[in-house]
This record gives sequence, C-alpha cells and structure tokens, in this order.
Amino acid sequence: MKFFADMWFVFARYNRFFTEGVRNTLIIAAATVLFGTIFGTLMAMMRMSRVKPLKLIALAYIEFIRGTPLMVQLMFIFYGLPMLGITFPDVSWIPNFSRFAAGIVAMSMNSCAYVAELIRSGIQAVDSGQMEAARSIGFSHTQAMTNVVLPQAVRNILPALGNEFVTVIKESSIVSVIGIADLMFRTNDVIAVTYRTLACLAVAAMIYFVMTFGSSRLIALMERKMSHER
Amino acid sequence: MKDELLVVQHLNKSFRRLEVLHDISTVFRRNEVVSIIGPSGGGKSTFLRCLNLLETPTSGQIFFNGVDICGKKQDLDRHRQKIGMVFQQFNLFNNMNVMNNLTVAPVKIKGMDKAAAEAKAVELLERVGLADRSDAYPSQLSGGQKQRIAIVRALMMEPEVMLFDEPTSALDPEMIGEVLDVMKRLAETGMTMIVVTHEMRFAREVSDRSIFLDGGRIEEDKPSRELFAKPESPRLISFLDKVL
Repeated sequence: MKFFADMWFVFARYNRFFTEGVRNTLIIAAATVLFGTIFGTLMAMMRMSRVKPLKLIALAYIEFIRGTPLMVQLMFIFYGLPMLGITFPDVSWIPNFSRFAAGIVAMSMNSCAYVAELIRSGIQAVDSGQMEAARSIGFSHTQAMTNVVLPQAVRNILPALGNEFVTVIKESSIVSVIGIADLMFRTNDVIAVTYRTLACLAVAAMIYFVMTFGSSRLIALMERKMSHER
Repeated sequence: MKDELLVVQHLNKSFRRLEVLHDISTVFRRNEVVSIIGPSGGGKSTFLRCLNLLETPTSGQIFFNGVDICGKKQDLDRHRQKIGMVFQQFNLFNNMNVMNNLTVAPVKIKGMDKAAAEAKAVELLERVGLADRSDAYPSQLSGGQKQRIAIVRALMMEPEVMLFDEPTSALDPEMIGEVLDVMKRLAETGMTMIVVTHEMRFAREVSDRSIFLDGGRIEEDKPSRELFAKPESPRLISFLDKVL
C-alpha cells in the first residue's frame, strides 16, 4: 500500500515534470513517425527500384541502420557530426532546437529503415497475380501499382505502421541521454529530488503504457473502420 | 497473310539453365480456337505467357498483326490491350468490386466514358448470367463466378485474341461446366482463342486445332479431330491413354 501511496505522491507533486516529459516524448515520436514514413517510403522505392545503384544504396543503408544500435546512431549524430563540422542551428524562438533536431534526425533515420522494410514486405505480400493481371490487360507498371497493387498493400502496411509508432514511443526514451527533456529525462529529475526511485519508475512505466496502449487501440479502431469500407 | 494473327517463330525459353521451351514455331489464325494440351511441366503455361510477354522469350520472334512484339522499343502495354488473358487463379482485382474490375481498364487506359463502360459491363454481365453481382467484391464470389467475371474483364477491352491459362483447373467440379459453357459461346462468336487446358472434351469438341506440348517441344499440331482420332507420336498416345 505504501508503494502506491508513494507513486501517487510522486505523481501528484511532480506532475508538471511528467507532463512536460510526455509532451516532449510525443513531439519526438510524432515527428519521427512523420519523417520516418516519408523517408521510409522513398527508401522502399529505392530498395525496389530497377536502377541498380539506387537499390544498392538503399540496401546498404537499411542493413547498416538495422544492424547497429540506436544509441550509437544517436550519439554519432549528436556528438559525432559537430566534430566533423556539421552542426544543427539554434532557433531562438524554439528552446533547445538543436538537441531536438539531432534527436529527431537520429530517430527518423533509424525508423525509416524499418518503415522501408515493412512497406516493401507489404507490397510483396500482394499476390503477384494481381500485378500480372493488371499488366496483361494493358496497364503500365506504374498504373498497375497505383490502381491495383498499392491500394491492397496499404491494408497490409497500416497495421504494421501503427506498431512502428508504438515502438517509436518506447524507443524515444533513449533521447534522454542527449539531454532532451522527455518523459524518461524528467523521471530521472524527479528521482534525483525525491530519492523514490521505484515509485518514479513505476509512474513513468504507467504513463508509457497509457500512451502505447492508447495508440494501439486507436490504430485497431482505424483498422476496423478500413475493413468496413471495402 | 491477313488472317495470321499471331505467328511464333523459333521460340526458346530458358529459366537459368533449365530449357522450358525448345524451338517452338506455329501460327494462330483469326477466328481460330486452339487448345494446348500436354503433361504438367511440359511448358504449356510458359508458352502461353510468352505470347503476351508476361515471360520474356530467351530467343525467337512473335509477330502480332505482323509486328514483332519481342523487338526492342515495342509499346508492350498497347499490344497487351488487344490480347486478353484469363488466369487459372482468376486474379480479379481484390480491391475493387465487380463493376470496377470491369470498367477500370477501359476507362483508365482507353479513356472510355465511365457511363458507357458501365453500360457495356452490364450487357456483358448479363450474357454470363451475373448481372446481379456487379456490386460484389471478388471475395464474395464463387470460383466459377470469379472466372466468368475474369473472362468478361478481358472482353471489356475488345481484344483480338483471348489467352486462357488452365481456366478451369482451380474450380470445383460442379463449376467447371459454367465456365466452359461461357468459353464455348465465346468461341461461337468467332473470337480467336488459345486455351491451355486439361479438359480433353473441350479440346476435342470445341477447338479447331490442338497442339500437344511435351518436354518443351511441339510434338503434334493438327486439327483436333485428327489429333484425337489418330495420334501419331508415342508420347501423345501414352498421354491420351492416361487422361481419356
């Protein structure tokens, strides 16, 4: 009982810390999913391109990103790039812009590799007979893609993209190591002033769970709606 | 020759080192119904798929209306509009209902008016007895219905020749008849048809000519009645023994 009282105390007293953390976590996650999807789509197109060099670049990128830890990638972007003379600018009216930019760039670069693979597998999961039938009737490759294959692929891809969003929310906790005041970072702040480590972590876990469970329910709802449409 | 619609000359096809078709030459004339028969793995489907270049021949030529469609710089999409194809697995577009399956190609490729395309679709659907299913999605149709729709979809483009790739092989026995019936009636309208089939009765009774393909070679190619009455090659004789 004492434990729950502790949790409640920590949460009630320091809720502003947690609220700010949640806000920043959601900003990072939303931006990551947005850019990750845009660049992931481009990367998937390169990966499936018939132009060899494009394909090889995409393949190398995807394999490399998926084969190295996000922590290393984040450190490389935030600490490594400035040593090479590449810095993220500060924007006066957005506090901590350069940190956020580095965090979002690193997370997006990471996510886009995964998104590219799930888009590719979503497209390849569409029965090859669909493409053949479309080509046999006189559609060009592009027309067959846009009219027949992609609409079916989207139904495979959207649920997986939803899972990716959930994953990104959880993994974004890593940006606390470069000093972005996300939920994990602010939780550590609260631990530092209260010394109630377990209670604080439990509160953070609860909040993360509410965010991930909430979004996965939302995604399931959207999926159900889509399946009705057809 | 004006009535020579599809001319195949010295067609070869290999998948890596496996030779699937060996030096195939034949002529398909306008209004002709030709069956391609033979044991599985004999190259029947590959041959048919070469005719609209779903498979690219390794060597040889295919003339469609006198034009070598294997040549470089050929507008394949244009040729394919005039070569209808029906697949074993139907391959209706799963993301569209029946009406859209039928109208999407004429509207988007030929620029046909949507209303005109729909009117035409209704007319063709009536002919195959499926006018009431125009709002259904492929997943709601039986195999026989799907295949009849697939035939209509190909006809919507007003092709000069129709290719059938084992159109009844994926069907339950009681649905084979309804599809063969549609094909028979199509043959009676004078449509040029090339049919890969295991239905020997269709080959013998409906098609004008039959080609027996085995081991990637044309073993026999003659009028159906003759081919079934007096088979010459030993392979054809043993094949007919097994299937008839």
